[in-house]
Amino acid sequence: MSEQEYYVPHGTYWPIIGSIGVSTLFVGFANQMHGVEWGASVMALGLAITVFMMFGWFGQVVNESTNGMYNKQVDRSFRWGMSWFIFSEVMFFAAFFGALFYARALSVPWLGGADNNIFTPDLWNAFSASWHQMAFLAPGTELQSGTTMSFPAVPEGLTIENATPADVVDPWGLPALNTALLLASGVTLTYAHHALRAGHRNQIIGWLVATIALGVAFLGFQIMEYSHAYADGLKMTTGIYGSTFYMLTGFHGFHVTVGAIMLTVILYRVQKGHFDADNHFGFEGVAWYWHFVDVVWLGLFVFVYWL
Amino acid sequence: MTGVVAVIIIIAILVALGVGLIGMIKGGKSGSDKMFKSLVVRVSLSVLLFILVMFSGYMGWITPNAIMVDAPVISTPEKND
Repeated sequence: MSEQEYYVPHGTYWPIIGSIGVSTLFVGFANQMHGVEWGASVMALGLAITVFMMFGWFGQVVNESTNGMYNKQVDRSFRWGMSWFIFSEVMFFAAFFGALFYARALSVPWLGGADNNIFTPDLWNAFSASWHQMAFLAPGTELQSGTTMSFPAVPEGLTIENATPADVVDPWGLPALNTALLLASGVTLTYAHHALRAGHRNQIIGWLVATIALGVAFLGFQIMEYSHAYADGLKMTTGIYGSTFYMLTGFHGFHVTVGAIMLTVILYRVQKGHFDADNHFGFEGVAWYWHFVDVVWLGLFVFVYWL
Repeated sequence: MTGVVAVIIIIAILVALGVGLIGMIKGGKSGSDKMFKSLVVRVSLSVLLFILVMFSGYMGWITPNAIMVDAPVISTPEKND
């Protein structure tokens, strides 16, 4: 196509199918939340329609690209589209990190009576201004009736006198391992990127497989950590810490899942020979997304577990 | 001190990521080069940060993030500092 023409697909039905899929998904989800019997089935149907739309629509775009229907102008619009998507992602995580800082540095100390002393613990005598994963109860302590906050169980023999911070949260275990895994995936992806730019297809495939495997391993360990944390009583309802912990790490895990699926699609496209050293925007978009998800985890590791 | 250095490295990582994004939006040979180089910088800084944090934790310069307090009890509401 010439530089002047802009390829516009005519008669496409995918946006309508996508709208039907997403609407069905949310109607099902809302009803599921309200305990309606058919909620889950409608949700599954909506998800299936949405996935079908993604396969169809994205597949069509890939075919149009490989058939040479796109020019530089279309390429530019794809790049800008990706950048706006990234902007929304950055704002999404900025909101949750903002909530973390606000709760930890401002609202919890205020509610505990710091600074202005407008709020005091007498406001609600079951309130405990703390930023913690584990609260310590003296043996035989009876919780105030009506207390809705749930606190994690304390390991046997551990009391507030002999506890060290490491007893409360252990960043040397799974969190450190998971950080190392994600960082390694960033390194392997960079090697894949280098191999792509140098035109070494077999190397790209090897490094991409390693990246995906590291991402899947991360998710496996994250599931393990969740089951440990949940068994120890850290839940969404465990105060503001539990809420922010699961919101941040949960959405991050979801993004790693999406990233791993996108990398798998890119792997398939590399095998099909869709990219060359000079023309590989699909790879660049997904690579940047993976690096971003990696940096989000690094921020989580440093701010949630350490600083 | 470790905290300050860690925050500076995190800001540098975000800048590298941002430069990579600009390279991606720009496209072409120069954009692609810019993107790749800045992502190499971002990966290197991330590994450096991880080593710094773990080493500082090992040396005891920083301690894992936790504040322990007593949980609410039935009779005496406690005032925390």
